[in-house]
Amino acid sequence: MSKPRTTGLRRPNDPPVLILTSLAEGPKHGHALLKDIEGFSGVRLGPGALYGAIARLEARGLIEPLGPEDRRRPYRITAEGSDALAAAVAEMRRVADTGAMRLGLTLGVTR
Amino acid sequence: MRDDRRSLLRWYPPAWRARYGEELLALLEDELGERRPPAPMAVSLRWAGLRERLHASGLTGDHRPAADRMRAASLLVLCAWAACMVAGASFSKASEHFAGALPTGSQALPQDAFDAVVALGVLGGCLVLLGAALALPAFRRLVSGYEGRRFVRRHVVRAGALTALTAVALVPLSLWAHHLDGSQRNGANGVNVGALVVWSFMAVASLALWTGAAVAVVRRLDLSGRVLRAEALLAVALQVAMVGLATAVGSGGRPWPRTHPGSWPPAPLSARTPPRSTPSSWWRWGS
Repeated sequence: MSKPRTTGLRRPNDPPVLILTSLAEGPKHGHALLKDIEGFSGVRLGPGALYGAIARLEARGLIEPLGPEDRRRPYRITAEGSDALAAAVAEMRRVADTGAMRLGLTLGVTR
Repeated sequence: MRDDRRSLLRWYPPAWRARYGEELLALLEDELGERRPPAPMAVSLRWAGLRERLHASGLTGDHRPAADRMRAASLLVLCAWAACMVAGASFSKASEHFAGALPTGSQALPQDAFDAVVALGVLGGCLVLLGAALALPAFRRLVSGYEGRRFVRRHVVRAGALTALTAVALVPLSLWAHHLDGSQRNGANGVNVGALVVWSFMAVASLALWTGAAVAVVRRLDLSGRVLRAEALLAVALQVAMVGLATAVGSGGRPWPRTHPGSWPPAPLSARTPPRSTPSSWWRWGS
């Protein structure tokens, strides 16, 4: 069996995964990102962790800054970022599906 | 803008601050309003700042090319070696009166451990020098250009100035020590102890500046893959030497004889008593 393609994005609660997931909805600045991430994952990122991850994601070209709004700068996901997130979600889904199948659970999308 | 938030930003490298500083401050403003950052958040920001500094210095970072990671890992080992030198100097100072402090028949293992520390220290120093020699051609290329020369000079002048100051400060300290009796040299004279502590900090700061200069310069060197691999192998050997050093110190036990605290300046190695025949551990001494 071929080894699944890795994306460098690991656990679902990794800050980069959370940030990309949040930005997949649309551009956001730091504070909006924190609120959104807390809303959909329950994870409360610290400002240091958030901006550390933003710097890495930007350096890898997975997100890009938009023009500043006052002192706040929104970010948006790039095409490369969308691909990386899709691959990461697929990896997580494989694990989730296997776990659900072995537990006899049915997974559904909840909003 | 509040000073406590600006002071937190100082933990980040200048380039990072220039790019993300204002955004981070705006985020803190959104999150906290006029409140001070709570202690856990302040600690987290400081930690994040240190991580960014390590990342910016090339010592960490897992998304870089293999050559960059190899270079960063070798530099990290070099920094660890510098810390090991400080620990080694402390050990040397603390162990200089073992021969007189240990009871007869209890000196074999401590002496063997000390000899191993010295041998591994020399070996480690040779490995570092060999690594420097391998990087020499690239260093010459760097300093052949005006920008490279200016960059190197800036770091070398800073480290060299503090080293010269440290060396000059040693002269009056040594002269002063010769006018003190044994007990005064060994802690009875508070001013002497304070001066020695200050001098020790200067020596450590000099070493840190030289190490920082080496890290900064090596990051700029155009090293071939072959040289980088050789440097990485030397770094692995240096790590093994450091593990050996730690093991030797640990197997010797507590390196601090209470009845004969260290004096200044340290006694030469040749003045130490040769090992005795009966092996024992120096951690038993004094118990």
